[in-house]
Amino acid sequence: MVDKLGVGIGWRPEIDLTVEQLDVDFVEVVAENLHVGHLPESVLLLRERGVPVLPHAVSLSLGGAEPVDAGRVAHLGGLAEALGAPFVSDHVCFVRAGGLDSGHLMPLPRTREALDVLVANVKAAQADLPVPLALENVAALLEWPDGELTEGRFLAELVERTDCLLLVDVANLYANARNLGTDVGRFLDEIPLERLAYVHVAGGVEHQGVYHDTHAHAVLPEVLDVLKQLRDRIDPPGVLLERDDDYPADAELAGELAAIRAVLA
Amino acid sequence: MTQPQRDRLAAAQAELLHALLGNGEPPAGFDPERLRVEARSLLNKRRGIVAMLRPDVVDGLGDRFRPLFEGYARAHPRRAGSRAREDAAAFAEWAVAQGELAPPKKRRWWRRAT
Repeated sequence: MVDKLGVGIGWRPEIDLTVEQLDVDFVEVVAENLHVGHLPESVLLLRERGVPVLPHAVSLSLGGAEPVDAGRVAHLGGLAEALGAPFVSDHVCFVRAGGLDSGHLMPLPRTREALDVLVANVKAAQADLPVPLALENVAALLEWPDGELTEGRFLAELVERTDCLLLVDVANLYANARNLGTDVGRFLDEIPLERLAYVHVAGGVEHQGVYHDTHAHAVLPEVLDVLKQLRDRIDPPGVLLERDDDYPADAELAGELAAIRAVLA
Repeated sequence: MTQPQRDRLAAAQAELLHALLGNGEPPAGFDPERLRVEARSLLNKRRGIVAMLRPDVVDGLGDRFRPLFEGYARAHPRRAGSRAREDAAAFAEWAVAQGELAPPKKRRWWRRAT
């Protein structure tokens, strides 16, 4: 079990002053948007206050067929050291393939073969990182054919074989339940919750019968209900609200943080 | 060793991305409707990032931005290794080459912004 983090929010340059004023215990930064050596003043201010700042990467493409890009891992590790972060994170996904960049976190085929490649890539990244690596479940709009494992078992085996931490995104889990029929209870039962680093919560919207994890809309009560189901099993070390676009009034973000605290209480 | 696994995974992932982002054939076994929804979602996300990074291009194209980007995107999927800013710049250059967008004014050294 990792140290208690509390309730946090994703730090973004567009809401830097808001984040400084909100009542948050920790923040997360998108690793690819920061550079060691010229960190934003706002991030340094939060560090001075003792607020943990966790680097969150989106581009390692750990589930991709190609070996991990050492330069991207080095950047993430350097950021962790500059920020004094207890751990870093990325996703169980692939981003690049066939010479193309999807610009998004694409789901993996849940086959033993894909798991073997993921495990090899995660181990390679871990070997070059100065702190533990947490891996996050992604939201998918489509399902690969011929899956051999449930998403929960896929993640559980990943943890068993790499000893990585888990970052459980309850909005992504909700999205997969809505869009792919993932069984939320079974997922939560199958993953090793004792390896939980923290939890993501985010907003989204339904469009033509499909739930889109936009990070640009309010958090749905249904997503908080998934958080409740997780809370019924474990008191998570941390829960972090992600908002990436269409930033609302400060009071609305404060309200969403309060709603998260209420579920955890 | 994971090389045989890597090779098969590489082929499968490449086939999916070329179908979603480019003009590749839909891979077998996927729900065609979900492939369409995913392709649309990825295109919207890419267009949103281009719009965010290049408001000058959005302003310059006005109502033509959306349809032109739709026409452009699949023929020019974003290359691995390119930065988002480069992807946005490539669209701007394409729009100029198509005669849809006025070429950027050359900056003279004596007028360089301070």
